[in-house]
Amino acid sequence: MRQACFVRPPRIAAWLVELVAPRRDAESILGDLFEEFSDLASKSGLASARRWYWRQSVKTIAHLVGAGFRVAPWIIAAAVVMGFLLLRFGSGLPEKLVVALLRTQRPYSNTRVDAYVLFLAWGILIGRLIESMIIGCIVAVAAKDREIVATTTLGLVFGALTGLGLMLLAGQWLENAYLIPFLVNQFCSSIMIVIGGVIVRESRSAMARRTSRA
Amino acid sequence: MADRDYLGEFEHIVVLALLRLGDRAYGVTVRQEIEVRIGREVSIGAVYATLDRLEAKGYVKSQFGDPTPERGGRSKRFFRVSAKGVAAVNRTHRALQSMTEGLRLFERYS
Repeated sequence: MRQACFVRPPRIAAWLVELVAPRRDAESILGDLFEEFSDLASKSGLASARRWYWRQSVKTIAHLVGAGFRVAPWIIAAAVVMGFLLLRFGSGLPEKLVVALLRTQRPYSNTRVDAYVLFLAWGILIGRLIESMIIGCIVAVAAKDREIVATTTLGLVFGALTGLGLMLLAGQWLENAYLIPFLVNQFCSSIMIVIGGVIVRESRSAMARRTSRA
Repeated sequence: MADRDYLGEFEHIVVLALLRLGDRAYGVTVRQEIEVRIGREVSIGAVYATLDRLEAKGYVKSQFGDPTPERGGRSKRFFRVSAKGVAAVNRTHRALQSMTEGLRLFERYS
């Protein structure tokens, strides 16, 4: 048992459980998993304990996500709809900002059109990703204790719409090749929405830890 | 209306596990008690989701213990069944008994 205390459970699995669990439950759930993992590692070996930890983590995450929808369906739905509307109506904002920035800062010479296009294209691409992350943060703040459930739902909806777009393009890649970077950007935006949720969740958890220590 | 509520299948099992465990009832022991008694592997997430629901209904109360090294410095959350929870278990049992009365389930389906 003493030896088992030095064994660490899979970090990624523990981190994912901590992200999804309501803040009030996170500490006790992770403590329970740690306790059983240590016990299992000393009895059946580390590999078996790690497998058990991952299996429990996946099942726990699935249950907690389901519970999140049951406990606060309207808050999550409202946050997701708000995020979707922000993505829909704010979609032109990065372009406007990048064009305005290029006009005022002029990080290229007037004769270099290719440099202008390069700055514009990369600027819009990065601008859209940042915008998605900010919208993810807003959705996470609105979803209160269910940050990851709300942002993952929005990311999945957004990703599913992009997938639908890809399906519609199937077989016509050559004619619509110009749309491919846009669709790839949309997929990356889905991930950035979830990253926004993770940032808010981690910030709130850090604040809660600091408060409990003080 | 809430006082006329019956417990769901898993809620029922969890409350009975809490009653069996008494002062020792926390996530690990509840999960293991269910696994040992009914031979069903349950996740700690399912146990907590159910306990949170029962606590919201007022059937269960919880309190945090002190952090311990064997739990990676994390505290236990102990659960106990409230008087309202005991009443809900009795109500559910009575309902099940009256529904199964005279059915001779074991003779018919064994």
